[in-house]
Amino acid sequence: MTDGARGPWFGEYGGAFAPETLMASLAELEQAWCSVGQSAEFGAELAGLLRDYAGRPTPMTHARRLSREVGCEVWLKREDLLHTGAHKLNNALGQALLAKQMGKTRILAETGAGQHGVATATACALLGLECVIYMGSVDAARQRPNLLRMELLGARVELVEHGQQTLKDAINEALRAWVSDPEAHYLLGSALGPHPFPALVAGFQQVIGQEARQQILAQAGELPDTVVACVGGGSNAIGIFRGFVDDEGVELVGVEAGGAGIASGQHAARFQGGVPGVLHGCRTWLLQDGDGQILPTHSVSAGLDYPAVGPEHAELLALGRAKYDTCDDDVALSAFDSLARLEGIIPALESSHALGWVIEHGAELQGRRVVINLSGRGDKDLDSVFALRGKEGQ
Amino acid sequence: MTSQSDNSLADNRLVCATRVLRDQCARGIAPYITAGDGGLACTLEVLHALDRGGAHCVELGLPFSDPIADGPVLQAASTRALAAGTSLTGTLEMLRAFRQAGGRVPIALMSYANPLMRHGLSETALRVAQAGADALIVPDIPLEEGALLEQACAEAALCPIFFAAPTSNDDRIIQAGARSRGFLYVVGRVGVTGGGTTFDSETQTFLARARALSAAPIAVGFGIATAADVRAAVEHADLAIVGTALVRHLHACGSNPGERAAAASAFLAELQTGLS
Ligand SMILES: Cc1ncc(COP(=O)(O)O)c(C=O)c1O
Repeated sequence: MTDGARGPWFGEYGGAFAPETLMASLAELEQAWCSVGQSAEFGAELAGLLRDYAGRPTPMTHARRLSREVGCEVWLKREDLLHTGAHKLNNALGQALLAKQMGKTRILAETGAGQHGVATATACALLGLECVIYMGSVDAARQRPNLLRMELLGARVELVEHGQQTLKDAINEALRAWVSDPEAHYLLGSALGPHPFPALVAGFQQVIGQEARQQILAQAGELPDTVVACVGGGSNAIGIFRGFVDDEGVELVGVEAGGAGIASGQHAARFQGGVPGVLHGCRTWLLQDGDGQILPTHSVSAGLDYPAVGPEHAELLALGRAKYDTCDDDVALSAFDSLARLEGIIPALESSHALGWVIEHGAELQGRRVVINLSGRGDKDLDSVFALRGKEGQ
Repeated sequence: MTSQSDNSLADNRLVCATRVLRDQCARGIAPYITAGDGGLACTLEVLHALDRGGAHCVELGLPFSDPIADGPVLQAASTRALAAGTSLTGTLEMLRAFRQAGGRVPIALMSYANPLMRHGLSETALRVAQAGADALIVPDIPLEEGALLEQACAEAALCPIFFAAPTSNDDRIIQAGARSRGFLYVVGRVGVTGGGTTFDSETQTFLARARALSAAPIAVGFGIATAADVRAAVEHADLAIVGTALVRHLHACGSNPGERAAAASAFLAELQTGLS
């Protein structure tokens, strides 16, 4: 079964809630994904790029000092070592290659943390495609190094000045740009949006889980007890979960942004504070008010600061196959420091939520083998982390 | 071959209005306004003014936080309306008051999917119908998800309205026309609301194709701003929808309900010169 053949629904979640103007482009994309995208030639070309250009497979690192500190056996799947510094490149290369096969010459994309924007700009530079990135101006300020990188890579960055000026607003604007320019390819950065995007993005990210499963078997000799990943839109998490979802004994844990705490209302924990609804093309869990208006979100991490979650996660929750919990800003920030000092690895603030959850739940995890998806590296976050420290120091 | 749902739509104001247009080979104007922009008191007065002025249908937009099919003018109107505290409940109360005061123009409620689905699409459609609306237009419910809308509308005796766009193939236009009641919403241009649509030969060919393929009458919208645009639009369309231009004009008139209503009347009268 190809991924496209899964259809638009993940149980009650997913679908294609998009304006009519886009339906032809979505159908064309699904068609390309089910034909060219499943061909041996395409697979070989993408695998070659992932290996020789992006640096796959990424390592699996046994984090020994962190393990001792937490009291369980912690392994890190090192997507931080992928070219451009996060898992986002797996999807960007896959979609850009597919778009090129479809004869597209122009790519539109949104970005939150800027990692997807950088990955897309990179893939476009490599494949000779025109690239326009939409980024909220709040995110552009807190992830400035990535803004500069995108421009250096030849992308045009359009700052989005309305709404909360974060990822949600960037997606709104990118969708509007696509409605006006359906000949372009919209390179959506997470496992969300209208069909076929959730399945398409997961399909390009599942390489993380496939590698991780082989590596942990080879290096530890056994499967992990628990696999943990942070969940923004849900692409790095679904990528690693898909490697273990058929191993019933492996617990899957997705970590959402707890922000200033669930009780404060300032968070991005869709499964804790949300209800199902429709946003950006799919039915899934959303942070919304009683009138169905989308609520503002908060997270110290731009990549998790989004009011909806990918529909495949909604299904995994409904099936009881994965559980979802939260990690607050302060716990994530302290995990950011811990990994740097204990392992010599500076994690992305997004990934720090998965780490923070494991550190916080060390007591329950005693003696267990835990694989954390270290979805990205933290260079992009230094400005915001030091700015926050400066504030605390005052 | 009239289905149950069609029977229950026999008295629907919108179905009647567009049938009369077709029977008389006439054309009409369907102004769009955002509910609560300037406050619901303004909206109520503007509705009455458009009704008295001879609008054939009013498209009443429910504000939404994330209107992905709208350009900057209607986005800003949504933001203002939400900031003024506009809710679905408040909008429906206003609509009920409009009907109680004798308002007769057909009203198509335009809303993104989420506010309608928040408490169940079927339950909400019933409330919308009871308040006096005649149709639902949901820009992010395409044919693929349309069964949901059709069922809710059938239960509530509302017209479900689907879209056709220049990117739609013939099959989709046929389906959208067959599954719409009252009218098929034809997007005149590839893009979001606002901006200008040039009614060049390519656009006219598309509109003629949509008219030929659609079982339902067609309303064309997106970028119609002037009487000249209306004249060009109704060459093939039964209804010309005028949104952004009217919303911009009303906003510039301040928030006095009487002044807004007068401005709406004058604007409509000017547009109607494009019909003769
Ligand atoms: C390093 C990193 N991890 C995680 C995320 C969150 O996205 P997703 O949930 O799609 O993996 C982002 C998003 O920007 C990111 O940059």
